Amino acid sequence: MDLSSIFPTHMDYEGQARAEKLSRIILTLFGAVGLIWGYIIQQFSQTVYILGAGFVLTSLLTIPPWPLYRRKPLNWQPAKNPDNTHKETTKKGKKK
Amino acid sequence: MHSILQRGNSILAYALSVLACLTFICFASTVLLNYVTDAKMNTVKVVVKNVPDYSASRERNDLGFLTFDLTTNLTGLFNWNVKQLFLYLTAEYKTENNELNQVVLWDKIILRGENAVLDFKNMNTKYYFWDDGNGLIANKNITLTLSYNIIPNAGLLPNIFAKGRHSFKFPMEYTTTRM
Repeated sequence: MDLSSIFPTHMDYEGQARAEKLSRIILTLFGAVGLIWGYIIQQFSQTVYILGAGFVLTSLLTIPPWPLYRRKPLNWQPAKNPDNTHKETTKKGKKK
Repeated sequence: MHSILQRGNSILAYALSVLACLTFICFASTVLLNYVTDAKMNTVKVVVKNVPDYSASRERNDLGFLTFDLTTNLTGLFNWNVKQLFLYLTAEYKTENNELNQVVLWDKIILRGENAVLDFKNMNTKYYFWDDGNGLIANKNITLTLSYNIIPNAGLLPNIFAKGRHSFKFPMEYTTTRM
């Protein structure tokens, strides 16, 4: 059985937008804080580590499709019985 | 942003862009700094020999021996864009053969965090002071200078000459005894 059908991986459209926005904000924030801290203690390695921590946090928050990102699923029309639709089209054809 | 792989790719790409930006800021914050410092040098013992140079022509060339003192404080050079310093001591002199001779006599790597306050007394040179002829005997003006490369995290690799130099002269006669 396909794994993706057991563990759903998709987000809805608004969820995708939120995930992307959140990831940008967190990474930029950690980068800025890392830059300031690294400059204060004059250690650029600390800047890189802080950005790395931001990357891990962002990965945890925005890569898995948490329920937060799936609140507004698309309202698909319910599937119709394939036989019925076939009949309807044929009827329409006859009428014309 | 639909699948897990797309989101991972997007986050990684953005994180690396931020890293590149931070690295550039680190470079820009240090590119205009002045790294010149003072250094005091002195020579203690200076002799010159005339021996065959088997590494080159096998002719008898001048080989200088000297010991030197070196005092300098390089602590102020280290900042967040300096990984290590490469110091080297150069002897410059003029001979009949060449307008300018430059011979590196000694070098040292100082990693960040190591002691950068140098106070060497009576140090031997690390490398041979060969002349390509007989230009050392009775040479009246040999100048020692200290230079250093700054190895950065990002950016330029400046080559800096420290302020302070020392001039000395070689003796008028060759030393023949073993030292």
